[in-house]
Amino acid sequence: MKNSLLLAIREWRARVWSRSFLAMSILGPLAVLTFTYLIFAFGDEGEQKWNVLITDPTNYMKGKIMPGEDQSITYSFANSTLDHEIFRDGSRYKEFDALIEINEKVLENKVSHVFFRDAPSTRLRTKVQYQIERRMEEILADEMNGISVEKYRKIKRPLTMSFVDVYDPYGEASSLNGWVGFFLGGIIILFIGLFGMTILRSVAREKSNRIVEVLMGTCSPRQLMTGKILGVGMSAFVQFIIWTVIIGFGLYWMRETLFVDLLDPRNANFDEVTAQMQNQSYAAKQFSSVEYNRFVDLVYNKINFGLMISYFIGFFIGGYLFYAAFFASLGASMGTESDGQQFVLPLVFILLIALYSGYYTINYPGSSFVDWMQYIPFTAPVVAMVKLAQGYGENGYQIYISMTLLYVSAIVMLLLAARIYKNGILQFGHRLRLMHLLKWLRKT
Amino acid sequence: MNETLLEVRNIRKSFFRKEALNNVSVSVRKGEVFGLLGPNGAGKTTLIRVINRIIEPDEGSVRFDGHLMEANDLRRIGYLPEERGLFKDMTVENHALFLGKLRGLETKDIRNKMQFWFDTFQMNEWRKKRIEQLSKGMAQKVQFMCAVLHEPDLLILDEPFSGFDPVNVELIKKQLMTMRADGKTIILSTHNMKNVEEICDRAALIHEAKKIAEGTITELQGAQKTGLYAVRFRGNMLTFVNALWTGFEVHDKIEHGDNRFTVRVKMRNESSFDDLLKVLIGQVNIESAWEVLPTMQDVFINLVQPVNHEE
Repeated sequence: MKNSLLLAIREWRARVWSRSFLAMSILGPLAVLTFTYLIFAFGDEGEQKWNVLITDPTNYMKGKIMPGEDQSITYSFANSTLDHEIFRDGSRYKEFDALIEINEKVLENKVSHVFFRDAPSTRLRTKVQYQIERRMEEILADEMNGISVEKYRKIKRPLTMSFVDVYDPYGEASSLNGWVGFFLGGIIILFIGLFGMTILRSVAREKSNRIVEVLMGTCSPRQLMTGKILGVGMSAFVQFIIWTVIIGFGLYWMRETLFVDLLDPRNANFDEVTAQMQNQSYAAKQFSSVEYNRFVDLVYNKINFGLMISYFIGFFIGGYLFYAAFFASLGASMGTESDGQQFVLPLVFILLIALYSGYYTINYPGSSFVDWMQYIPFTAPVVAMVKLAQGYGENGYQIYISMTLLYVSAIVMLLLAARIYKNGILQFGHRLRLMHLLKWLRKT
Repeated sequence: MNETLLEVRNIRKSFFRKEALNNVSVSVRKGEVFGLLGPNGAGKTTLIRVINRIIEPDEGSVRFDGHLMEANDLRRIGYLPEERGLFKDMTVENHALFLGKLRGLETKDIRNKMQFWFDTFQMNEWRKKRIEQLSKGMAQKVQFMCAVLHEPDLLILDEPFSGFDPVNVELIKKQLMTMRADGKTIILSTHNMKNVEEICDRAALIHEAKKIAEGTITELQGAQKTGLYAVRFRGNMLTFVNALWTGFEVHDKIEHGDNRFTVRVKMRNESSFDDLLKVLIGQVNIESAWEVLPTMQDVFINLVQPVNHEE
C-alpha cells in the first residue's frame, strides 16, 4: 500500500502541476458560470423578433390581435390573399419574416398556414399560435351573438388536469430539479471521460517508454495500477473541489450583484403570476416569464446542495473507480501508444449512453427501465443523481442499493482489471485484439 | 566467494505459444560478476524479468540467498533494464528520491547517497534539471544512479554501457569493479564481449531459449580452444620452421619487420607446449610464447553459429 501511495502522490503531483490541469481548473468552471449567466441574463433578450404579415381577406381579425402584446412579434394586416411565392420573392414583402394566412373558412376548419423565412423557435411558434388563437376566440364569441369573450373562454376552456406528486405537493422537485441532477451526473461522466483518458494515455506512455519496467522491479502490477488510478483520481478530485469553489463563489457573486432584483420577493407579484398561470393554457405557460424566474429560484433556493454534493461525491468516486479500471487495463494492454483506439470508442459510447440514460430519466422518471438503469453500474452515477434530484419516493432505499452495487462492481472490476494489467503491461508491439484481453483475463 | 546468491532452476516461459525460456538453470555466486550472454531474442531479458519477479515463469523456481525468492528480496536487487525509462517531467533529484523511496530508503539516506553519485558522475549542477532537459548520456547516468542508489546486494544490468561514450564506459566499469570489491554481486547482460572478458568472472550463454554454456570465462574459452600456440621471436623464419620438424605445424605467421615474427603453431603427435619451447630455444630468440585462447567474441560466434547452420 505504501508503494501505491508513493506512486499516487507522484502521479498527483505530475498532474496537478501540469499546465493543462491549471487551465482546465480555471477555464472549466468559468465556462459553466458564463453559460449559467447567459441563461439567466439573456434567456429572453436573445429571442427572435418577428415581423409578421397577416393576410385576412374576410377581415375576421379587424386589423388587430391583442392590445399590449409583447414586443417580440409585430403584426401587419392585408385584406387580400397573397400567394406565398409572391411573398417569398416580392421586394415589398422582404421586411416581413413570416406570412400568416387567415382564410375564409378558418372558423370552420381551424387551419391556418404560416410561411416563414427563417425557422422560428418553439417559443416563438407557441407565442404566435397562442396570440392568434386568443384573437380567434374573441371573433368566435362575437359570432355567437351576445356571449362575452370571458364566458366563451369559460365554455371553451378544456379541463386541466394537474398532476401532483403526493410526496412533493408543492412541486419542490420539479423536472427542473431533475436537470440539476442531470447536470451533476453529466459532470461525473465528463470527469470520468477526461480523467479516464488521462489514465489510459499515461499508462500507455509509461509502458512505451519502459519506465514501467523499472517500477516493476519494486512494485507489483496491482500496486502500479492502484497508484495510477488513485493519483489521477486525487487530481480529478482536486479539480472538482476547485470547480465547486469557483462555481459556488461565482453563483454567490451573481446573486449578490447581478440578479438581486430577480430574487427579491418585493419585485415579484406572486398573486398576479399565479392567476396568470391558472388562466393560461398550457401553451401560454410554455413561454411565461415565470419559468425564467423559477430557474433562478431553483438554482439559488430549491436545490439542496448539501445533500446533492454528498451523494455526488459518493457516485463520483464509485463511478470513477468503476470506469478507471477499464481505462487502466486498456492502457496496459496496448501494443503501442496509438494502439487500442477501437476499444476506446465503445467506452466513450457507454459513457454517452450513461449520459442519455440521465436525460431519459428526466422525461420518464417512473419507468421500469429507469428503475433498472439506476442499478446498472455503467449508468448508475447519472440516473441516480437525476432520481435523487427529482426526489425518491417514501423512503428512497433505491439510492443505497444503487451506490452499493456501484461500489461492489467497482471492486470486482478493479480486481479483473489488475489481472489484465499484470499480464498485458509488458507485452509490446502487438496489435490489441479482444482475444488478448480475454486471455490475460483468464490468466492468473 | 563460492556461496550461491541466486539460483535459477528449470525455468520455462512462453508467450503466445512462443517459447522464451526452455528449462533454463543458472547459478550466480556471491561477489562475482556474472555475464548473461546471447544473441538478440535469445531469452536473456525474459530471464532477467523472471529473476526480478516482473513476470512469472510457467515452470521453475528462483532462489535468492538460500530461500525461494520473495517480494521483499526485490529491495536487495538493483535493476537497470535495457530499454530504460524515466519520468521526463521530474527533476533528477525528485526522480532519484521517488525511486529511492520505492526501494524503502529514507529521504535523508537517499540524499546522502545521491550526493555521492552526483559527485562521482560530476552532475551536481544537473540535479534540479528536468529529465527531458538532459542529454542521453546524462540520462543514462541518472538511470544507473537510480539502479544502485539503495546499494543492492545483487545488481542486474541489461546492456549498461549502451549510449555511453568511452570515458563514461570506463567510469561505469570502475564503479562496477568497486562494487564487486565491496562484495556485491552483478549480473551483466551485454553483447560487448570485450567487456565480458574484462569484467566478468563467469558467464552463461543463452541461445534460442536454452542455456548452451556456463562457466568461468577461462573455462568457456578453454572449451573452444583450437590447440594453437603462439611464439613471438627474433631470428630467421627458415631456422624456426626447420626447428619444428615433424612434431609441430605452422598455422600462420605475422611479420613485424626487423626479423621479428609471431607464428601460430599447431601441435602434432601429442607434442606439448614444453616440447615446442625446447626445440626452439637456441634456434631463435624467443621474446614471448603463449597458448592461443579464443576471444569471447570467438566463443560466442562458435557456440551460436552451429545452431544457426542447422536451421
